[in-house]
Amino acid sequence: MMEVEEASFDKLYDVYACMQCGKCTGSCAVSLRTKLNIREMMRIAILGNNDDLKEHEEIWDCTTCGICTVRCPRDLKPSEVIVGLRSVLVEEGEVPSTIRDALESIGNNNNPWGRPKSKRADWMNDLGVEVKNLSAGDEAEYLLYIGCTASYDTRIQKISRAAVRVLTKLGVDFGVLGEEEPCCGSEARMMGESGLFEMLVEDNLNLFNDFGISKIITLSPHAYNAFKTDYKDYKKRLEEEGIEVPDLELDVVHYTQFLAEQIDEGRLTSDMMNEFNKTVVYHDPCYLGKRNNIFEPPRQILSIIPGINLVEFERREDRSLCCEGGGGKMWSEGTGTGERNAVIRARDAGALGAEVIAVACPFCMSTLEDGRSTAGYEESMEVKDIFEILDEVLK
Amino acid sequence: MDVIVCVRKVPDTAEADVMVEKSGKDIEKSRLTFTINEWDNYAVEEAIQMKEKYGGTVTVVTVGQKDVEDVLRRSLAMGADKAIRVDMEDPDDAYTLANILCAVIKNQKYDLVLFGAQSGDFNRGVTGAMVARMLGIPHATMVNGIEVLDGSIKASRELEGGLNEIYEIKLPALLTIQTGINEPRYVSISGIRKARQKPLEVLTPSDVGVGSIEPMIVLDKMYMPPPGKLAEFIAGSPEEAAAKLASILKGKGVL
Repeated sequence: MMEVEEASFDKLYDVYACMQCGKCTGSCAVSLRTKLNIREMMRIAILGNNDDLKEHEEIWDCTTCGICTVRCPRDLKPSEVIVGLRSVLVEEGEVPSTIRDALESIGNNNNPWGRPKSKRADWMNDLGVEVKNLSAGDEAEYLLYIGCTASYDTRIQKISRAAVRVLTKLGVDFGVLGEEEPCCGSEARMMGESGLFEMLVEDNLNLFNDFGISKIITLSPHAYNAFKTDYKDYKKRLEEEGIEVPDLELDVVHYTQFLAEQIDEGRLTSDMMNEFNKTVVYHDPCYLGKRNNIFEPPRQILSIIPGINLVEFERREDRSLCCEGGGGKMWSEGTGTGERNAVIRARDAGALGAEVIAVACPFCMSTLEDGRSTAGYEESMEVKDIFEILDEVLK
Repeated sequence: MDVIVCVRKVPDTAEADVMVEKSGKDIEKSRLTFTINEWDNYAVEEAIQMKEKYGGTVTVVTVGQKDVEDVLRRSLAMGADKAIRVDMEDPDDAYTLANILCAVIKNQKYDLVLFGAQSGDFNRGVTGAMVARMLGIPHATMVNGIEVLDGSIKASRELEGGLNEIYEIKLPALLTIQTGINEPRYVSISGIRKARQKPLEVLTPSDVGVGSIEPMIVLDKMYMPPPGKLAEFIAGSPEEAAAKLASILKGKGVL
């Protein structure tokens, strides 16, 4: 019998309740372009056959967007079952080499990108504004958690820099962790490496506690989801295992929630902004939307920008088309053929006359930047993070 | 087939900025991360694949202080059966290291000894060959393929220019393993935790019968290579720049 960490799939995921209706497969963001068939994966979990699993390399195609979990009529969590099936492969060492390298890098370098820890703060070079470093003795109300991708990827570093400038202009008392910032572990968990995730939860809760951090603003919806939900679950797990963890309640917000609060409290207003005379379409990230039902705050921020022409995708909010950036897909080419979702998304944006696709997630930025160039919109369309738009318009 | 694999913990310097310490005898290590030497990881995987195919045991050996034990635990989690650490500072000198390893290995039961072809810190690539000589067994270096026969093995050696040569070597033998010979498996964190139950023996130099060894090589000084002449940036429009580049290349006799 196939087991996840000594517990059966039924005990953990209630898979015997699955009636094989196929709604998961029908709603899957990648089932049209890869071999992934979640209903079949549910069946494998029900039957508990390891050997079957090894032949299904498409298990790494799942982006963990969570739409199958949103739509399951039995309230099961097929996207979590995929994570559980992956963990069986992880424990056997049977993972694609690119996934292996990303996981090893998280263990060794505290980021999945294979980059040295000593370069994690390079995005702050020539920033032009003073930022508090909470790991160097500075104190602040909030930690701005940058995350691995926005620390190392040269395109996405621009979002981190914009974030610092915007929060500074708004007079927010915040700091960063610089080189000491750890990986949140969200991608490790979604790739099925729950032991590594558990280790990061333990280390990071201790680190936050040591530096007096409890209020966190995240750039990434993935880090938000991990800190908000998974850290609580794993903290409980650690305590059950008799491992001492600081009694720390993290107060976590995604930055779009934080900025929407600033609007509600009158600290961020249209008067503070120059006009942005462009047609903009907002792309809902899965980890903000489908997984956490946060749809309004990003739209609220964009809507108060003077001159903006905000349009909407037909597939939006909890029906938003996944960009394919999550669930370890950054490190796995996958079995897919045909057009990537990000290319389809760019074309949809083009059909709406959008000049800017607004995003609120580093992975969406990465995939949609690619999608935009592949779809031939290099000259006529931009992908911008909401922080970057604000950085541009704030007086 | 009983296999012994010698492993080493090294700094990961692929992307990090490496600086020389004030003493001029070492590199700055405080901001570097340390992992199993890449070549050794392939050697461990090769040994475990042999065990899975032909049976036998895998023993991993290292020399160093307690902080190097994680590379042994990791190898145990990959599937090695037992580990040995000789408790002393990892010597700079390959000859000293080879003497210690030889003293450990000669008391073990083995058919094959594997080393990584080189280590990512000093890139000397000599320790394996020295140990083979000290043990008095045949060896092959830079091995990128192994075929197990009865009482012997066929080892494919990687040569320059994409050439390979194949030797049949009688066992017991020692091979130094080149990267790419296999695809090392992932070792999960919970796998490493579970491997804590596997035996890890700690020996002192006197346990293995090694007294003081006169090093063959003493590190004198480490320094960064002096910067060469600066590159020249050719300014101007593409046409002007191309004309200038062409005249420079002509002047140097390239064109």
